[in-house]
Amino acid sequence: MIVVENLTKSYGSKKAVDDLSFSVIPGRITGFLGPNGSGKSTTMRCMLGLDKPDAGITTFDGRKYADIESPLAHVGSLLDAGDAHKGRTARNHLRWIAMTNGISASRVDAVLQMVGMEDTARTKVGKFSLGMRQRLGLAVALLGDPKVVILDEPANGLDPEGIRWTREVMRHLADEGRSVLVSSHQLVELSLVADDLVVIGQGKLISSGPIAQFMTQHAKTWVQVVSPQFDALAALVTAQGGTVELTKDGGDFHAISAITVGEIAAANNIVLHELSPQTGSLEQAFLDATDASVEYRGQTTTNVWEAPKP
Amino acid sequence: MIGVLKSELFKLRTTRATKIVVLSAVLLPAIIFTLTCIFAFSNGEVGDSLISMVGNFAPLTGLLLGVVGVLCSTQEYSQGTIRITLVATPSRLKVHIAKLLTILVVSVVSAALMLLLCLLPAQLILSTRNVAFVTISTDLRILFSVVILSALLSVLGLSLGLIFKSSPGAISALLIWPTILEGMVFGLLSLAFKDSNVIRFAPIQGNGFQLVSPFFNPGQNTWLTSLVYFSGFICVFIALGLTLFSRRDA
Repeated sequence: MIVVENLTKSYGSKKAVDDLSFSVIPGRITGFLGPNGSGKSTTMRCMLGLDKPDAGITTFDGRKYADIESPLAHVGSLLDAGDAHKGRTARNHLRWIAMTNGISASRVDAVLQMVGMEDTARTKVGKFSLGMRQRLGLAVALLGDPKVVILDEPANGLDPEGIRWTREVMRHLADEGRSVLVSSHQLVELSLVADDLVVIGQGKLISSGPIAQFMTQHAKTWVQVVSPQFDALAALVTAQGGTVELTKDGGDFHAISAITVGEIAAANNIVLHELSPQTGSLEQAFLDATDASVEYRGQTTTNVWEAPKP
Repeated sequence: MIGVLKSELFKLRTTRATKIVVLSAVLLPAIIFTLTCIFAFSNGEVGDSLISMVGNFAPLTGLLLGVVGVLCSTQEYSQGTIRITLVATPSRLKVHIAKLLTILVVSVVSAALMLLLCLLPAQLILSTRNVAFVTISTDLRILFSVVILSALLSVLGLSLGLIFKSSPGAISALLIWPTILEGMVFGLLSLAFKDSNVIRFAPIQGNGFQLVSPFFNPGQNTWLTSLVYFSGFICVFIALGLTLFSRRDA
């Protein structure tokens, strides 16, 4: 189990991580979400002792990372797929890491096989695609058969098969009772695999808990209705405090439950062709939850993208 | 600790740049010295002390091994492997000691090999030509000094690498300071203080390179003083490198 308590890290006057606390439970996959520059990678680096936090502590099964003997057997991490010497072969890259923790060469070959790289074991890292480097990074994380796995954007650059494979690996690791913390910007992917979510913005915790709880708190819900008497129903729903948004096939009712809409329709003999409660996507919920803490926003207005006229 | 040491040695063995520089440090003096012996000495001539001649190559070997020291630390930053190194071994002191010991072993073995590859072919070539070479009392000390100088310069390279974190900066400092800047700075000081022996305070030229000199003139530091002075200079850089390495975010 990972416990992060009151982690704070500043770079000059900028607080990258601000009094952040959360935990990662064994047997579950915890998604770590936040907009660009929100402090996810800094948090992960502080957790592993690569960056020195100004305050706060991270423990892995009750122990600080620096106090763990043979840390690779307890915590496996993938922070950046590019962290490998381009002139070394994949196998040699894993071998030097294995040597530090007394891990055997046979385990190196085993993890290369696990990540599907046995045929490219003697190829230099510089010749690998981003996807291959991600696989090698995962091999590093799994090298010590760790109880805790920390992955920063593991699906970056992977093809659809690779993404599905990563998802299956994470699920498999969690099912074996390991704690898995994974940061990703691929929210659809994360919604398919994560059990819990930790959402941060500008270094501060926005939400922490099961994914269903996050969706309840932050995802929009509405009732989708298709009816030949839509206008009459809309008037009655509005009178009950609901709001109406017209769509191509009918309309969406907000601020009212599907049960109430159904009861209003039944009481007024209104024919319904469709009445379905809807929930917004994880992506929309994430964007809504972190809207106030987005630091870097792109411009899509035409005056920015249009070429200047001579 | 043994695992970390083995890992550091393995890292050096598996990068082309370090292999090329180590080979250059060993083979370049050997080739030049062998060619010198082939072309410079004729039958029956009486030569200088072979060992003191080989000692002249010590700065070249030492500086090249210093470059190996630089690469040992800067490649970790340029390739991003420093993060994996510190995740695998959270104790930065342990990593630093392992790097120091590794570079020491590599430089001592390389310097010894360089001496061997210089002296054995030279002996063989010159004995067939009946060239007589003198031996001097300081020969053994020169042999020892070549190894010490190489070891200390490689450690200086490692420390500069940890301080600069980039190869161009560290290698420039390692090569430009002893070969150009030190001479200029201490030349200027000797003018300012009207003392021609100020060079004895120059850490590398006045003391480090002086270790392999067969004779010490009055006004210069003795061999032992030079060794202590130069070692102290290197220790300052070791301490600075370790402090920055320990405090900096990876």
